Amino acid sequence: MKLKILNYTLSLMAILCTIQESYAGSVIDKIYHPYVNPLEQEVEWRGIFQDHQPLTPDNVQLHRFAYGRALSDRVFTEVYLVAHKASNHSLEIQAYELEFVWQLTEPGEFWADWGMLFEVEKEANLDKWEFTTGVLMEKERGQWSGTANLFLLNKWGSDSTDSFESRLSLQARYRYSRGFEPAVEFYSGQDTLGLGPACKGQIKLDGNKKFNWEAGLIFGLDSSSPNRTLRFLLDLEF
Amino acid sequence: MKLQAHIKLLLRWCVLLGMGCQSVAAATPVIEIEIRDHLFFPSEVDVPANTKVKLLIINRDPTPEEFESYPLNREKVISGNSKAVIFIGPVKAGDYPFIGEFYPTTAQGVIRVR
Repeated sequence: MKLKILNYTLSLMAILCTIQESYAGSVIDKIYHPYVNPLEQEVEWRGIFQDHQPLTPDNVQLHRFAYGRALSDRVFTEVYLVAHKASNHSLEIQAYELEFVWQLTEPGEFWADWGMLFEVEKEANLDKWEFTTGVLMEKERGQWSGTANLFLLNKWGSDSTDSFESRLSLQARYRYSRGFEPAVEFYSGQDTLGLGPACKGQIKLDGNKKFNWEAGLIFGLDSSSPNRTLRFLLDLEF
Repeated sequence: MKLQAHIKLLLRWCVLLGMGCQSVAAATPVIEIEIRDHLFFPSEVDVPANTKVKLLIINRDPTPEEFESYPLNREKVISGNSKAVIFIGPVKAGDYPFIGEFYPTTAQGVIRVR
């Protein structure tokens, strides 16, 4: 049943692949893992600092502030406030997001672990909407973990050009220790093709509280990509 | 880059990771571990090397507990008076400690892979 859902989703995406992409967004972001932990809650701050984004002002910042909680053993939801800052501008609220991560398989149950992501985003003060469907995959090989996120974005609204866009992000991560896991990340999407080093870690706090951090420096691989993107994530699980 | 190219890249990534989707649940040995009074029973579990194993964790306590093992790359919250399944392995021979994260001073155990 779970594999049928996955096959159906991939088939749907393949059918839609003939539709032209025409929207630019932040392709470089967190890489999602297909896991949900029941009873878990978290607050999160993640952001990117981009240098040289063609067609937009230089030195762009994008920040996401979120609160999330598990709704069940398999579903985790998160609400986001998205803020944007361009050069010579102050930080402004750009959008609101609601996101669901659905864990499809138990870790280690099949050849790889699978999940799905659904996200709806509304731009502040504009009739501009975005719906994202994503397939999340992770494969463990010894101390290495390979992760893939394939997203299909549908955009609409009177202040938006109706369009579809796909994004792919890949991560190879070495589980060196709980506090430090080096990784390499690859991102591909509209106007972005990037590759670079990243790392993540976890610090255990009192009780079941955990502090997670991630950082990455992604370099553009072609002339239309941002030259450098620094991404970070800080989250407190409780 | 178009979706078609992204799907091709994803498939190559899967091949690189050794794609071969198969369900192993039916043939996987099952080992039961109970949580009682914030302790694991048994606290030491012997598992054959290079074999996938299904742990059935039964939490007899009314409070939740989180099975966690960084060496095994597993963490799972088990609600009070409920069960959860955790697949581990195949892994190399060695000792792989695990704890109950909500009561880590008492809930401790080890998977001994031989």
